[in-house]
Amino acid sequence: MRICLMGFGAVGQGVAKVISLKNDYLKEHYGLELKLVAVTDSSGAAISQDGLDPDLLLKIKSETGKVSNYPEAGIENIDGINVLDKVEYDTMVEVTPTNIQNGEPAKSLTIKAINDKKDVVTSNKGHLALFFRELIELSHQNGVEFKYEASVGGAMPILNFAQETLPGNEIKSILGILNGTTNFILSRMTIEGSSYEQTLQEAQQLGIAETDPTQDVEGIDAACKTVILANSILGIDCTLKDVQVTGISRITSEAIDLAKKEGYLIKLMAEVSPDSLDVSPRLVKQDSPYAVDGTLNMATLKTDLADEVTVVGLGAGSVETASAILSDLINIWKSQK
Amino acid sequence: MRLNMVIELLDVPGQLLAALEPIGTLGANLVTVIHQREIKTERGLIPVQITIEGDTETLDLVMNKLNELGFRVIEVDGNILKETINTILIGNIVDRDVKDTMDQINQLKGVRVADLSLKMSEEPLHSSARITVEADFGKKKDVLAKIQNIGKSKDFLVISEV
Repeated sequence: MRICLMGFGAVGQGVAKVISLKNDYLKEHYGLELKLVAVTDSSGAAISQDGLDPDLLLKIKSETGKVSNYPEAGIENIDGINVLDKVEYDTMVEVTPTNIQNGEPAKSLTIKAINDKKDVVTSNKGHLALFFRELIELSHQNGVEFKYEASVGGAMPILNFAQETLPGNEIKSILGILNGTTNFILSRMTIEGSSYEQTLQEAQQLGIAETDPTQDVEGIDAACKTVILANSILGIDCTLKDVQVTGISRITSEAIDLAKKEGYLIKLMAEVSPDSLDVSPRLVKQDSPYAVDGTLNMATLKTDLADEVTVVGLGAGSVETASAILSDLINIWKSQK
Repeated sequence: MRLNMVIELLDVPGQLLAALEPIGTLGANLVTVIHQREIKTERGLIPVQITIEGDTETLDLVMNKLNELGFRVIEVDGNILKETINTILIGNIVDRDVKDTMDQINQLKGVRVADLSLKMSEEPLHSSARITVEADFGKKKDVLAKIQNIGKSKDFLVISEV
């Protein structure tokens, strides 16, 4: 399978690592060979129809910061759209940064790849949260696969889990923790009794929260994932503006303390049901499935036959997110054999 | 001794039988069962009226067993059982009239504020309060809506139970 990897940040590099680690395993078990024919970042691209070496890509990126420095195959300042025209490929893996204003560049790249009859795997949330229906319909019209397991919950299996492991069940609602950064902050505040500001700083120093933490702490990231779950699992036609969002920046250590005394924790919960699309801080029982700590994500699916089913997993991380991308790639490969 | 109760059941086959089974096994007499599938409780379950007969000890055993099996008894001898609802508010709790906040909740029928814990923050705008409300079964939605409303008008962050 020839792959165009669009974006070479943490997740993109995770994909290269996973390809390097798993190549022999995939050949042996699935007869699948993942060949990187193009990789892009903000500097440009590296393109080779014969395949790029994932280890060399990682080395060049860490040493020079630019994939365009790849020997012979590097091209500076080339636009992602042009890269897709320059090389023959089967699947685009799109891992550019999430943009919740207009979903770009993910949206244009995805539309182009789908119109060119290529399969697409993404970890991006922006274009899905804004144009879900449009993109899915386009993929159906073109008869290509469009998969996005990595966009919700990182390594935590949920989309493929609901669709492939629980088929036949009607999923009535989902309640979960869909953002690792806020879960880390709230968990630390609970354990340490520290203030919100102090804990946010700690999270930033650890690289768990971004310099501009708005998308995480104000619940926007979790809201994007709420939209993706609502559309793909519950079939609710909605976009980001339909989600009621309250973040965690007003939470105090005093409030956490009051909760604790009654056996509760405060968690940023996402609720996905036909009656409610909501992201807000909620009280959960200390011994409930919602009481997961650190950067973990979790989701409880309420179903008609299997009752409640809960999944837990790491919500972020480079190789962890890449594992979800790999499962999409393998599923596409298996479905086409 | 006779005891009338209402218990909530899921609308799936076998539930009623599972709830009735311990009554006979523990030696109580089943007098009546009224099972109307078209009526639903607030939680979307079916209320089933059951009358049983037996000595106090046996009736206690039955009630405990039903609890243990996860069946929720919502009414005993005409008294609606209460449920506890906890919420936490963050904001300028004291200056925005605590008494009025409580009064507004207490005005709901079958609802009363049972406990209020306040924790002042260094910054008075961010004090916290935990309000524990005791409400008749079926009132939870009203209570939460009321508290959300108060939160909106007084600019409190309302943190309610999942």
